[in-house]
Amino acid sequence: MEFLHTYFNLIPVSLAQGAVYAFVALGVMIPFRLLSLPDLTAEGSFPLGGAVAAAMLAGGSGIASAILAALLAGALAGCLTALIHLAFKVTSLLAGIIVLTMLFSINIRVMGKPNTALFSHDTLFTAFLGADGGAPLTQFALLAVLLLIVCGALHWFLLTELGLGLRAVGSNQMMARAHGLSTRAFVIAGLGLAGCLAALGGATMSQYQSYADVNMGVGVLVIGLAGTILGEAILGRDTLLRQIAAPVVGSLFYFQFVAMALSLGFKPSDLKLLTGLFVLAALGAPILKARLDRRAGSPRP
Amino acid sequence: MTDAHGQAGVHVSGLRKTFFPGTVQEKAALNGVDLDLAAGEFAIVIGSNGSGKSTTLNAISGELQLDAGKVVVAGQDMSRLPAHKRARFMARVFQDPMQGTAASLTIEENLAIAARRGTVRGFRMGLKRTERDGFRAALEVLGLGLEDRLSDRVALLSGGQRQSLTLIMATLKAPSLLLLDEHTAALDPRAAELVLDATLQAVKGRSITTLMITHNMDQAITHGDRLIMMHDGRVILNLGRAEKASLTAADLVARFHDVVSDRMLLN
Ligand SMILES: Nc1ncnc2c1ncn2[C@@H]1O[C@H](COP(=O)(O)OP(=O)(O)O)[C@@H](O)[C@H]1O
Ligand SMILES: [Mg+2]
Repeated sequence: MEFLHTYFNLIPVSLAQGAVYAFVALGVMIPFRLLSLPDLTAEGSFPLGGAVAAAMLAGGSGIASAILAALLAGALAGCLTALIHLAFKVTSLLAGIIVLTMLFSINIRVMGKPNTALFSHDTLFTAFLGADGGAPLTQFALLAVLLLIVCGALHWFLLTELGLGLRAVGSNQMMARAHGLSTRAFVIAGLGLAGCLAALGGATMSQYQSYADVNMGVGVLVIGLAGTILGEAILGRDTLLRQIAAPVVGSLFYFQFVAMALSLGFKPSDLKLLTGLFVLAALGAPILKARLDRRAGSPRP
Repeated sequence: MTDAHGQAGVHVSGLRKTFFPGTVQEKAALNGVDLDLAAGEFAIVIGSNGSGKSTTLNAISGELQLDAGKVVVAGQDMSRLPAHKRARFMARVFQDPMQGTAASLTIEENLAIAARRGTVRGFRMGLKRTERDGFRAALEVLGLGLEDRLSDRVALLSGGQRQSLTLIMATLKAPSLLLLDEHTAALDPRAAELVLDATLQAVKGRSITTLMITHNMDQAITHGDRLIMMHDGRVILNLGRAEKASLTAADLVARFHDVVSDRMLLN
């Protein structure tokens, strides 16, 4: 079986890739699920994180400070989207598009050019896994540890008074205000947190591929969304833990499907179309099902 | 700040609000509303549809920006505070049972948020295990069995159950002012009675100053220390306990027509 052989060979790499994109998927899940505020900023904060980390590493900074700077930049991008949304009363979607468009120019400014190579620089992967950056499976193990730490911290935060407040704001803004929660402050902080995670994904990606590119964010939002939806289909979202684990697990599975598609002979450039179709199917399925149920069952009163 | 009425109680004066000013849809919803409640007083507000009752409550709670007017609760001037800061002093139950609770959170998470109304939130646990006994005791009063469902999501509850929970949340930490906007109107008669009973129980025992809007004349006559009637964005009738004692529903309707026709003659 040619297909199975090709796919098995791709499993380690696709696991590592899935783990890298799991950070962005977390950053996409927060606005869409916890805040009920659709936000596209990830498409710009992911390359922003990649660009900032790459520029700093190329400039001789340490790995920790490069990643911290990327987190901070991502947080600012997320907060900016929230501020535009709140101050100018434009939808969060449009605010995010404005920010990600502006970030394209900023990302080139940050790197001084449209891309930055890190092949001769130390990265997260060379620091922990040796000069060659490690084999895909050890890379995956390293990323898995990182993901566990991030998810653990996120879970802890969402159980604190502030985290519970954030979830209340996402569930019912009127109720939140009536109980003393500033919906504006939580929306700003929540999108800032999402920006942090998307930028962490970008910073990890640029070190994983030893390369940052201003176009590396194209399609990242739909990948994050696909991962989140897929993970929710597998784990459900009954508990906070499942809601947090869903984007991570979903992202890992998503890249298995990507590997299978490639093994079946699809071109990498076909993947965005396939991903889009998958998200469409996931969004459309409940509606189609309801329509079919209605047709099968008794007509509506 | 102190005013002529002293520290406690609620003092509302000169509330004015026009929606869509300067357009064809221009609507003067509040034309100078004045209200004074003594501390612990239970006031009931009635009035025809569109008379400005909800707008008054929204203005008091800070959900709505006023054109003019002043709101003082427990000696504090609320006028410049946003809604979430006023929440330290007041709690609300809305007409729509969906509005008062966070559906995707559990019953106990909702209660934990309510228990922290008026405090500064931090990185402490949002829900402590030790709080559960108190939550159970608060819910038991309702007799709905919600005390055994603390970890259920609120989305699973019926409208009446959600409204009852909202009421418990609003009074878990006694507010200086409780605002109720036709909070039984969307419920079936049985649930409405249950929620009203729970309201009276929560309010009376702890003498929480309360402003309750209702469309039910019998409720308005039977309960409360004060009866306020609104019309056309104004308070047109304001009866204290003594004046209210001998009132019947028919009287009330008659008084309403008197006042309204008097006004028409005057205008
Ligand atoms: N947000 C709003 N925008 C425009 N008009 C409003 C708004 N809220 C209330 N109104 C109008 O103000 C008047 C008073 O409304 P309201 O206070 O809701 O009356 P009610 O006494 O029935 O609660 C009505 O004519 C209503 O149409
Ligand atoms: Mg109303």
